Amino acid sequence: MEYILIKVLEAMATFVLAFIVGMTYGGVVRKITGRVHNRLGPPWYQNFIDAFKLFSKTRGIHHGAMHFLGAAFLMVTSVVSLMIIPILAPGGHAWYNSWFTNLNFNGDLIFLIYIMTFGPLGMAMGAGQTGNPNSSIGVTRGLSQMVGFEIPWVMALVALMITYKTTSIVDFMNIQRETGTWLMFANPFAFIAAVLAMLGMFRYSPFDIVGAPTELASGPVSENGGKFLFTMMSSGSVFTFAKLVLYVDLFMGGANNLIMLVVKTFLLYMIPVLYGIVSPRYRTEQAVRWFWGWPTFIGLLAILYAVMF
Amino acid sequence: MYNDKNSKKIVETIQNWARSHSIWVLAYGTGCGAIEISPTMTSRYDAERLGFRGAATPRQADVMLITGYLTVKTVKRVVRVYEQMQSPKYVVGFGSCTINGGMYYDSYNTINLLDRYLPVDVYINGCMPRPEAVLAGLSKLQQIIREGNANGAEKYLENLAWYKENQRKIAPNWIAKAPDLNW
Amino acid sequence: MIAQIKAVFPEAVNKDYDGNRLDLTVNKEAVPSVLLYLKDSMGFRHLSHIAYVDWIEQGEFELVYILWSPLDKVKLYVHTRINRENPVIENIDMIWRQANTYEREIREMLGIEFTGLVAPDEFILEDWDDIPPFRKDFDTLEYVNRTFWHRPGREDAQDVRSTISERSGEEIPDFAKKYSR
Repeated sequence: MEYILIKVLEAMATFVLAFIVGMTYGGVVRKITGRVHNRLGPPWYQNFIDAFKLFSKTRGIHHGAMHFLGAAFLMVTSVVSLMIIPILAPGGHAWYNSWFTNLNFNGDLIFLIYIMTFGPLGMAMGAGQTGNPNSSIGVTRGLSQMVGFEIPWVMALVALMITYKTTSIVDFMNIQRETGTWLMFANPFAFIAAVLAMLGMFRYSPFDIVGAPTELASGPVSENGGKFLFTMMSSGSVFTFAKLVLYVDLFMGGANNLIMLVVKTFLLYMIPVLYGIVSPRYRTEQAVRWFWGWPTFIGLLAILYAVMF
Repeated sequence: MYNDKNSKKIVETIQNWARSHSIWVLAYGTGCGAIEISPTMTSRYDAERLGFRGAATPRQADVMLITGYLTVKTVKRVVRVYEQMQSPKYVVGFGSCTINGGMYYDSYNTINLLDRYLPVDVYINGCMPRPEAVLAGLSKLQQIIREGNANGAEKYLENLAWYKENQRKIAPNWIAKAPDLNW
Repeated sequence: MIAQIKAVFPEAVNKDYDGNRLDLTVNKEAVPSVLLYLKDSMGFRHLSHIAYVDWIEQGEFELVYILWSPLDKVKLYVHTRINRENPVIENIDMIWRQANTYEREIREMLGIEFTGLVAPDEFILEDWDDIPPFRKDFDTLEYVNRTFWHRPGREDAQDVRSTISERSGEEIPDFAKKYSR
C-alpha cells in the first residue's frame, strides 16, 4: 500500500517536471525564433503566462460531450507516454534518482509505438464533433502526415530491436553504459533515420501544415478556446518532453542527473527548431513523399546493417 | 475563508496581471488600417516582446482590432465574430473612422460611431496610426486590464437590448440572434 | 484599324488623347447586336468596364461600354442613352461573362433594369430600403443624418487644426500650413 502511494507521488513529480521543462522549452524556442528574426522575443516564461491566461477564461464554449474527448485524449496520451519512459537511469548517483525511473516492463518500446498514435485519433473525434470544416481538413492532413513519418521511425526502432534483441528501454540504457559508446555512434543509420522522422513528429516547419494559423485557421484546434486550449498546450509540451527523453535514452545514453538530462534534450531539440525557423512549409503530399524517400532508404539500410552485422 | 472578498480580489489581481501580459490578437483586418498590424507584429516594432501573438480563430482570441471603417455589410459579420469570442474579451478601435466617422463621415454605407454597436475599450487616434502609436494604445489597454476596468464583455451583456436595437436600425432584415454564444 | 471602324460606323468620333481611342453612340435597342459584331468580327475581345452617367437635367441615364482590342490596341467607347423614368435595357451577359458583375452593380446603384439578368439580389448594399444611391437626387448627407449618429461636438466636421493651434498656442509647422484652411 505504501509502495503504491510512493509510486503515485513519484508519478506526479514526473508530471510536474515534464510540465515545467516542456513549457520552458516552448518559451525559450519563441525567444530563439525572435532572435533569429533579428528582434527581441518574448520572455522565457511566456508560455506559463499564456497557460494561466487560458485557464482563467470565464466563459467556456463547447459543442457537446464528444468535444471534451479531443483534449482529454491528448492529455491521456502524453501522460501515459511519460509514465513508460524512464526519465533518469536506474542505478544512477543522484539522490532523487529513484523518483524518476517510472513504470517499465519488457515490451514497452512496442507499446510506445502504439500509444503515440493515440492522441491525434482522439483529437480527430473531438474535432469532428465541432462541425467546423477547417477542423476536419486539418485532422485529415495530420493523420496523413503521421503515416508519412511513422515508416522511418518504426524502421529505426526495429533495427535497434534486431541488433540488441530486446525491447525494453532500460536494457538499451544499460547496454550503452556497459559498452561505453552511445547508440548514436554504434548504429548511425538508425540514428539518422530517427532524427529525420523526428522532424515530422514535432510539427515544426516544414511539416507544420496541420496547425498552421494562416493556412487553415489552425486546423484541429480551431474550435477550442479557454480550458480546452490550455489542456492541448500543456499536453503538447509534456509530449515534447517525453519524446525528447525517449530519444536521449535510446541514442544518447540516458542521463544520470537532471542537469545532464536538460542539457542533452535541449541540444537535441535544437535540431528541428533551428531547421524549422528558416524553412517554408511543405504541402501534405510533398511531406509524405519526402518521408518515403531518403529517410525510408536510410531506415532500410539500418535494418540491413542490423541483420548482417 | 476561501471565497471572501479579499481572497477573490487577490485572485483577480493575479489573473488580470496574467491576462495583460499575454494578449492574443485576432487576425482580422476590416479596413485600411489592417496594413499597420503587420509591421507592429513583426521584426521592426516587435509586439511579441509584450506578449502579443496572433490567434487564428475567434475562439482562441482575446482582443479584436477594428482597424478602420465598417460598412453595414461588415458590421453584421463583425458582431457575429465578437459574439463567438470567449470572455473576457476586448475591442480596440483604430483610426478616426471608428471615433467619429473619419473621412467617410458622410457616406451612406459606413457607420460613424463604433461605440453604439460594440463596446470599445481603447481608441487609437490617427489615419492610420503609426506602429509607435499602436504600441502606445496597446500598452494603455494593458494598463486598463491590470486595473480591472476592462469589462466590455459584461457591459455588452447588460445592455444587450440597446446594442441590438442599434444594430437592427442599420440592418433591419438581419435576424440577430439573442446571445446564443454557442454558434 | 481605326479606318476600318470608320468605314463600318461612319459616325464614330475620334477623341484623340493618345491616338487610339474612338467614341461611338448607338441606340439602346441596337446595343447587343453592335457589341456582338464588334467582338466577333472586329477583334474587340475584351470588355473592360460598363460606366454610367446620370444626366438629370436631360432626364436620361447614359451607359458606356468600354471595349479593348488587344491585337490592334484600340479602345472603343460605345455610348447609349436610356430614359430616366423607365430605365430598361437588354443585358449582354451572354457575350461577355464579366458583364454579369457590372450589371449587378448598376442595377443596385442606379436602378436600371436589365432584362434577362439572372443574378442574386443583393450585391454590396445589404438591407437597403431607399432609392438607389448613385442617382443625383439622392441626398447623402440627409440620409446619414437620419440613420447614423455623429460624435457629439463634431457635427459640423470642421478642420480642427487651426482651432487647436489657436487654443493651445502652438505653431502649425510650415509643411502643414498649405493643407489647413
